Amino acid sequence: MIQPQTFLNVSNNSGARELMCIQIIGTSNRRYAHIDDVIVVVIKEAVPNMPLQRSKVIRAIIVRTCNELKRDNSMIIQYDDNAAVVIDQEGNPKGTRVFGAIALELRQLSFTKIVSLAPEVL
Amino acid sequence: MLEFVRSRALRSLSFSCSSSSSALQQWRQAILGFNRAVSTSSEPNGSLDLKEIEKVLSDVKADDVKVIPVQGTCDWTDFMVVATGRSTWHVRNIAQALIYKVKQKQRGAEKLWLPSVEGHEGGKWIVIDSGKVIIHALEEKARAYYNLESLWTSEILTKAPNEDLEKALVKTRRKNNSKKPAQKTV
Repeated sequence: MIQPQTFLNVSNNSGARELMCIQIIGTSNRRYAHIDDVIVVVIKEAVPNMPLQRSKVIRAIIVRTCNELKRDNSMIIQYDDNAAVVIDQEGNPKGTRVFGAIALELRQLSFTKIVSLAPEVL
Repeated sequence: MLEFVRSRALRSLSFSCSSSSSALQQWRQAILGFNRAVSTSSEPNGSLDLKEIEKVLSDVKADDVKVIPVQGTCDWTDFMVVATGRSTWHVRNIAQALIYKVKQKQRGAEKLWLPSVEGHEGGKWIVIDSGKVIIHALEEKARAYYNLESLWTSEILTKAPNEDLEKALVKTRRKNNSKKPAQKTV
């Protein structure tokens, strides 16, 4: 359940450290975003000497949420943090590697690039 | 796309039954077993095999084609194919040629099955996800930046000593080396 003003961790090596959601893309009036939604974010904290800087507006895709993800086979996936991967307008990831476990739903919703960079797929 | 994941689940079930059984794998088997019960579809016949892909890639003059088998490390696919194009146009043409080949193969079929294509607008990195084989067509700069081969080949190296770790975690009784006579507690 990601909504505007939610803070998210970054799970790739793009150079941002903390993000804040400001808009969910593809919806006009939906309240919450879930795993594999694209959101507009502000960089709240960044690693020094990297291309991404504080207070820049970028796009990111949600890969982990504290709210549970339910599958048809009654499996529930729940993470301990809210995390996103920074992408550009074309959908290419900004960093070169993705950290942590990624849900397989991302592949079904055509984010195969991020899945193929991830070390662990659930 | 969903159909593919299902058929892939079928395959990997038979694969994982024969391979070694760690706790994680058993867990996966349980999931895949469930998927199998649900799925009714069989392997789509339109999917390209590796030889055909290599032929198409050599026909469109893709540079530096590499086929990386990832059955052991990735649970969700079997082969990764990486190819380089000289420009964004060339990368898009590589993707188009592959899709054309898939369509040619299924000529006359009732239902046309197509792989999912990602990143066609940008043209810097196009992924064609056809289930068992995933084809990445990248521009030269993007290929150097993401360095996909090193990711997947190094994964194999890092995952290999994992078995030693599993052995190390098995509890073994310590040998009693002390010279004191064993004291019996009353």
